[in-house]
Amino acid sequence: MQKRPFAKNYQLKEKINRSAVGKNKVLFLTIKTVKMNCQLCQKEFDAYRQGKLPHDMMTQVESHLKTCKICAGIYRQQILAERIIKGEKELQPDPFLTTRVMAQIDKLDDEQYKSAPSFIKVLKPVLLSTSMAAAVAFGILIGNLPYSGSEREKIPVELTLIDDAAIESVDVFANE
Amino acid sequence: MTDTEIIKLILQGDKEKFTILVAQYQLLVFRTCMGFLHDKDDADDLTQDVFIHAYQSLSRFRGDAAFSTWLYRIAVNASLNKIRKSPLMLIRQQFSNFSDDKKERERAVSITDGEDPEKILIRDEHIKWVRKALDSLPENQRIAIVLSKYDDLSQKEIAEIMNTTEGAVEALLQRAKKTLRKKLSAQRKN
Repeated sequence: MQKRPFAKNYQLKEKINRSAVGKNKVLFLTIKTVKMNCQLCQKEFDAYRQGKLPHDMMTQVESHLKTCKICAGIYRQQILAERIIKGEKELQPDPFLTTRVMAQIDKLDDEQYKSAPSFIKVLKPVLLSTSMAAAVAFGILIGNLPYSGSEREKIPVELTLIDDAAIESVDVFANE
Repeated sequence: MTDTEIIKLILQGDKEKFTILVAQYQLLVFRTCMGFLHDKDDADDLTQDVFIHAYQSLSRFRGDAAFSTWLYRIAVNASLNKIRKSPLMLIRQQFSNFSDDKKERERAVSITDGEDPEKILIRDEHIKWVRKALDSLPENQRIAIVLSKYDDLSQKEIAEIMNTTEGAVEALLQRAKKTLRKKLSAQRKN
């Protein structure tokens, strides 16, 4: 008899080539065997819980859990861990969370707004007085600008020759 | 209205639209926080912080990934930071004997309703073991387990959040389960 383990998933498929008794007939038999130990059993916990294992494997894990106290204990704790997570997942956040978040955001925005004027408080009078001083200085500058020579040249020569003293007073014509 | 459109409006100044995003994603963020902290009040506070952080850095959301993916990343980082920064929480998670407060006991009793007090005490002890084993997982394995078990995300989604491949997530989950089994069996032997 020759044993040839070739299948995955810890199932040993043995092909037994047996000579049948009598008349040179050859009989092929396939026997499935599963070797279960703690490591393999623990590895299949998830699939076992979800019922995803093949029937024979389910039976093997089940019988191993009945006989091995360590595996049974770890399996119980794994179930417990899932129940703890389920319990924590069922909790709901604070119903006023949105209100709390928005209030905090408003508060932060207010703080930012309040912190900004303190800078402006210093800058504002400085800017105001500087701009006023600049306006006054510009006015004085404009007022003191001398007339340009070209404008003077535009006055007719006749007018410059007029002697004001020689012109008769307007009152003279009025008295007449 | 899509998330991107809502975000655009918020960035234009309509901040009230942020309530839509909070309402839509609060459970997702809360569950993630719960997975790391195991305490409702802490998870509520952290959920609030996550949304405020998201609001403040909304202009940095480029839209390469889904908004939920971006939010998951913020929630995971915030949870890990909270655990790392809070020594009390770290101690509480390392030595879960401290965490047998009233709420936890009530939760444990609700699981074991109808059993005798001795059995409840034993079960309570087992709950501590399990929680301790979950909390002592390496960071990456823990993130994968929380996103898988608490948020019911697929390996593809977890891979996107963790910026890794699906194969790496599968390996992480397998290792996490193996580590958990080892820790639980060691605790049983003790």
